[in-house]
Amino acid sequence: MIARLAWRSVWRNRRRTLITVLSIGFGLSFAIFFIAMGHGMYTKMISDAVRMQAGHITIEPRGYLEAPAVESYLKSPAELRAAVQRLAAVQRTKLLVLGQGIARTGSGTVGVALMGVEPSAEAITSPLARRIIKGRYLSDRDGPWVVIGKTLAERLGLRVGMKLVITTNNAAGELVDELCRVRGIFATGSEEIDGYFMQAPIAFARRVFGLPAGAATQLGVILASPDDQEAVLAKLRRLTAGQDLEVEPWQKILPQLASYIKLDEGSNYVFQGILIFLILFTIFNTILMSVMERQREFAMLQAIGTRPGQVMGQVFLETCFLGLIGCGLGMLGGAAAAGALQHWGLDLSSFYGGDITISGFAVDPRLRALLTPGIVLGMGAAVFAATLLLSLIPLRHAGRVNIVDQLR
Amino acid sequence: MQSKSKLAGALLGAALWLAAAAPAAGAAGLTPRQILDHVDDLFRGKSSQGLMTMTVVTKHWQRTLTMQWWSKGKDRSLVRILAPKKEAGTATLRVGNNVWNYLPKVKRVIKLPSSMMSGSWMGSHFTNDDLVKESRMADDYTFKITFQGVRDGREIIEITCRPKPDAAVVWGQVRVVVQAGDYLPLFMRYFDEDLHPARTMYFTNVGDLGGRRLPRTMKMVPQDKPGEYTLVTYQKMRFDLELADSVFSLRSLRD
Amino acid sequence: MNTLRVAWRNLWRNRRRTLVTLAAVSVCTLILTVIYCLMEGLMVGAVANTTNLSLGEVQVYAKGYRHDRSFYKALKDPGAILAAASAAGVGAAPRSYSFGLAALGAKSSGARLWGIDPAAERAAFDLYRHVAQGRFLGDRPEKAVVLGYKLAKSLEARVGSTLVVVVQAADGSLGNDLFKVVGILKSCGAAIDRNAALVHRADFAELLVSGGRIHEVALNSRGRMPLEKLRALAAAAAPGQEVTTWRVIMPAASDMLNVWDSMMWLFGLVFILAAALGLMNTMLMATFERIREFGIIRALGATTWRILADVTGEAMILSLLGTGLGALLGLAVSQYLVVHGLDMSSLAGSYSVGGLTFDPVWRATLSLRSFLEPVLLMFGVCLLASIYPAILAARLDPVRAINRV
Repeated sequence: MIARLAWRSVWRNRRRTLITVLSIGFGLSFAIFFIAMGHGMYTKMISDAVRMQAGHITIEPRGYLEAPAVESYLKSPAELRAAVQRLAAVQRTKLLVLGQGIARTGSGTVGVALMGVEPSAEAITSPLARRIIKGRYLSDRDGPWVVIGKTLAERLGLRVGMKLVITTNNAAGELVDELCRVRGIFATGSEEIDGYFMQAPIAFARRVFGLPAGAATQLGVILASPDDQEAVLAKLRRLTAGQDLEVEPWQKILPQLASYIKLDEGSNYVFQGILIFLILFTIFNTILMSVMERQREFAMLQAIGTRPGQVMGQVFLETCFLGLIGCGLGMLGGAAAAGALQHWGLDLSSFYGGDITISGFAVDPRLRALLTPGIVLGMGAAVFAATLLLSLIPLRHAGRVNIVDQLR
Repeated sequence: MQSKSKLAGALLGAALWLAAAAPAAGAAGLTPRQILDHVDDLFRGKSSQGLMTMTVVTKHWQRTLTMQWWSKGKDRSLVRILAPKKEAGTATLRVGNNVWNYLPKVKRVIKLPSSMMSGSWMGSHFTNDDLVKESRMADDYTFKITFQGVRDGREIIEITCRPKPDAAVVWGQVRVVVQAGDYLPLFMRYFDEDLHPARTMYFTNVGDLGGRRLPRTMKMVPQDKPGEYTLVTYQKMRFDLELADSVFSLRSLRD
Repeated sequence: MNTLRVAWRNLWRNRRRTLVTLAAVSVCTLILTVIYCLMEGLMVGAVANTTNLSLGEVQVYAKGYRHDRSFYKALKDPGAILAAASAAGVGAAPRSYSFGLAALGAKSSGARLWGIDPAAERAAFDLYRHVAQGRFLGDRPEKAVVLGYKLAKSLEARVGSTLVVVVQAADGSLGNDLFKVVGILKSCGAAIDRNAALVHRADFAELLVSGGRIHEVALNSRGRMPLEKLRALAAAAAPGQEVTTWRVIMPAASDMLNVWDSMMWLFGLVFILAAALGLMNTMLMATFERIREFGIIRALGATTWRILADVTGEAMILSLLGTGLGALLGLAVSQYLVVHGLDMSSLAGSYSVGGLTFDPVWRATLSLRSFLEPVLLMFGVCLLASIYPAILAARLDPVRAINRV
């Protein structure tokens, strides 16, 4: 009975309803959009950085993190790799051989980091592979071929097809020289990467550093969703217990980036918090105003015998309806806006042009949101609940109307 | 720092070793391979010892060092600076792939990390690498005689060497020019992969030293740094003498 | 004037409505102001983090030095630059660089030697505060060295270790000497961590026989001077030399800041919309609720213009009071945040291996722009939101208006 009254009352003052519903709706949309945008930002940044290195989680020999050296390596990671690959949350695994050496040509000598990768797997995930400006990326069939950065190519006077000699201490401590040729040149925009990193097929890297077939210095794990990291980390630690291995999250491998992201994330949370406060305040205000303006109406209702409790009940139900409609609209609107940003993205580089890199890791300048059902439903439910709670305060006004004053 | 050729290094390194085989002087009609091997072996032997001066001229400074050296086999050598006074006593020891320096001013021995192997040795246009590397031209290159006859008033043989496809050398080509007849080297020119000359090593001042007839002065001229060069002249040399292994130890490095 | 007095009385006739409306306007203005100040503070802080440690805002080099880092390309008259900086109240530090070898026992590693003036560094930069173990260099040359933490790790050096430092001196000879490690830095960025070895400039000059050559003068105004102005100042004091800014030296950081800047723009937009929404709906609600009231007044003979004038007057007062109050509160809160800031270190905590090098306190920045823009914006929205429905109401048929409930 009260419900029907409440419903009719909602539609009677269309303008007031509209304003209230739009307040809730827009507010919720903004919140969802904002949170999805923030979520998208970090996921992308982390994703790019970890894909270029070893992944969200890295399995490596004990002590490797403290003192990376080609002497310590995983002797036969194939079995472990298969076991890891079976986990549902794991998107892909990769084997890496990472070491340092000197690259020499007739024109010069430069210290380099040589990264042995599996070309077909790397071509899909690595930002390097997507930024080849001359020649092409590695393929599984390549032997002693490497891709080098633009800055390195300039310093050594190299073009695609030309040779260079890599000199290094291999795993047995011997000084070795290996010849290789340039397959492609990449440009990430970061001088640190373009002047220092080289990628080669993993077989060649094993040869250079004197590792046996199938060995690797690191086993990288790329997850389908970074949110699964903690869970997978625990599983992998259980899996490798007893072996002389370490399972590390990317935050340990790239601490500078991790710190930067944490700080940035923190500021994002602050902004989100303030926005939500603003939105809730708005909703509260709207309801308060609405209740206040209807004093006369409540007075009349009470004059004709409606009990204060019933008046409050009706108003509360009205708020429920308004909240439902508003939140419904808000979820749709927010999801649509965030979805659009996710699909098309906002090209930030149009503001400033050129490539963008952070902490040496090239970043896609397209800002995309990342919408999850959790965000939409979570925020929707939260705002609805908050609306109901907030409405309780002005509700007391609805009950305690001074009939005489109002009807004067 | 530029990387230096194996041959130049071998020659410098070889200057620290004894040559066992006497040059096959006068043997006409040597194959190119034999010529190259002969040039390689000119400064090699079971052991060697000697005195040399090295002058380095760069754009910003000029220095002349007098040094004493000992070498045994292919992988042991010790060099000590005698003059100028500021650096007298500085020594470099090489055993296998490792290189140590003794610094008299601070009385310490330091080991060179492998990343420094391509760095210049004592500021010259040679590298630490050159002390360490030991290889034969003939192993890494294919070669043929590209000129035989008179050039600039001399009878010469020019051998052009191309690196084998898998050889770990940075050069695109090396041209070795020797005197016809005694096959003493006149100069060697190193070209980068684009076949632009990168550096040239000149051999002059042929004379008798340690019982052999060889060019006593070598001059390394980098093509990209006009006016710069490193000049090495051997004053005294002895080949195949008795040298104990203890000569090539960290302890003897200090005195 | 009369209009305003009438407006004033009208407002206070319905005290609760006016108060609620005022609250909405001032809170929205307050929040928007604080957001603007925080956003600008974030940007300023990010720039400061990049430049205050040792990079500086503007750097001066000899022509061609940056290209090949040749030891022999030194500044012609560094004194002039230092003097100009001092006169302008800007910090400046002279530096000399060289590559060399650092050895400890059986371990050795390539190092990049910095010959610095410790007093100038302390005045202009924050590096001296990022010592993890031991201390920074003293004002007098003492054959002491401060190491980047990765270099220290690869040498297995500790405070008190004695290192051998070997370099190619300017006269071609092998410069070498013993240096005592007096400090090891925290993580200060890849460039410093990997191979920095800081020594007193006098020790540097002696080791390298450098004749006091200076390769770089880095200027830092700590955000007090606009970048272009500082650059011009340096260029004037160093004719013919190369003057760059931090944006050129660290394009990665510059890009990152540009990304943030454009994201702030988007954030700001969302906040403006949210604040405008918050403000508008209250004003709209308030004005629409009064349609009945307007109807009665119209019925009593007031003209459309009369009503409009009244409403406009009220709107003016409300807007002024509301945004004014919001602005004052915003000023107060922002000022607090300028001084105390928000401590973000609890958020950045657990994964900062090697220590945090940036200030974890997020301070707001109060500037003319970050203050006036939100206030004026909200004022405008407030006026619009109150006048528009009034226009609607004023043109309504009074009977219809009265019967609205």
